[in-house]
Amino acid sequence: MESFERIYLDLSKQPGKCRIAETGLGWKPSGGGDTFTLDANNIQAAQWSRAAKGYELKILSRNAGVIQLDGFEQEDFDRTVKVFKLFYGINLENKEHALRGWNWGKADFGKSELSFNVQNRPAFEVPYTEITNTNLAGKNEVAVEFSLPANGSETGTNGHLGGARGKGRKAGAGKDQLVEMRFYIPGTVTKKEENEDGEEK
Amino acid sequence: DTNGVQQKKFKKFESYKRDNQFPSRVADLAIVVDVKAATIVLPIMGRPVPFHINTIKNASKSDEGDFAYLRINFLSPGQGVGRKDERDPFEDPNAHFIRSLTFRSKDADRMADIAQQVTELRKNAVRREQEKKELED
Repeated sequence: MESFERIYLDLSKQPGKCRIAETGLGWKPSGGGDTFTLDANNIQAAQWSRAAKGYELKILSRNAGVIQLDGFEQEDFDRTVKVFKLFYGINLENKEHALRGWNWGKADFGKSELSFNVQNRPAFEVPYTEITNTNLAGKNEVAVEFSLPANGSETGTNGHLGGARGKGRKAGAGKDQLVEMRFYIPGTVTKKEENEDGEEK
Repeated sequence: DTNGVQQKKFKKFESYKRDNQFPSRVADLAIVVDVKAATIVLPIMGRPVPFHINTIKNASKSDEGDFAYLRINFLSPGQGVGRKDERDPFEDPNAHFIRSLTFRSKDADRMADIAQQVTELRKNAVRREQEKKELED
């Protein structure tokens, strides 16, 4: 088993301890309270990227959505790769994000999230669970609205998981909360491109 | 070949090369204006996402109920702004663009301050670009 301190679960306010064991993964807030657990067989894929607090272990689960664990050190990567391979038979993918600062690229619709890619690297991802509404706002313009609490003061899981923000609550995590995102999507799509899009994983 | 030259010039701008160049303040999941990198770093689902000032059209703040809203508009096709020669990425007819991002916060003063900083950064970027052009001409 490997264990890591000062890890944040799903943009939680409080840090906690993350344990990676053969049976699955656990996270316990440092301030005490309920423990989050994820069964080994619920882990479908995993990625390693730079996030806000440090490095992030992102788990695409089979039926618990996208789980984000932020606050790892860069040198935790090797340990984490090893146990993911050994315990779960999963290849922890090191996913570098685009840092160019460009606002053009390709919006890709994956299995559990929308990612915006700049030069074939994701600039960011949005789990579908965080989107409440999308609409065609104008010619070639798509508006995506995010799920936010009405008064902005609710604390995700009402504190029982250290303020972790599970499905549908991530946009409300910080003091600056993403409300809406608008895309320009060109309208002229040829047959060939449609096929390419359809084949994307 | 003018086109080639323009393209090279355009691709020069880049917010960061490595992920250790982010200001440490990005850890707070809040908007960070990084003047040194001419970049605004926006928190999107727990990830700091840089946008270079050259991609930004404007930023404005408005109030509604308990919240202040900051809307950042980006340069994108079909807006009738900017000169064609400055918009090389628009040459790819299939490119998708982020057209706008809206954030809300309970701290109206901070939102107003960010809008002001973005406007300032934008003004400086335009001025520098003009100075460069004059030197080249």
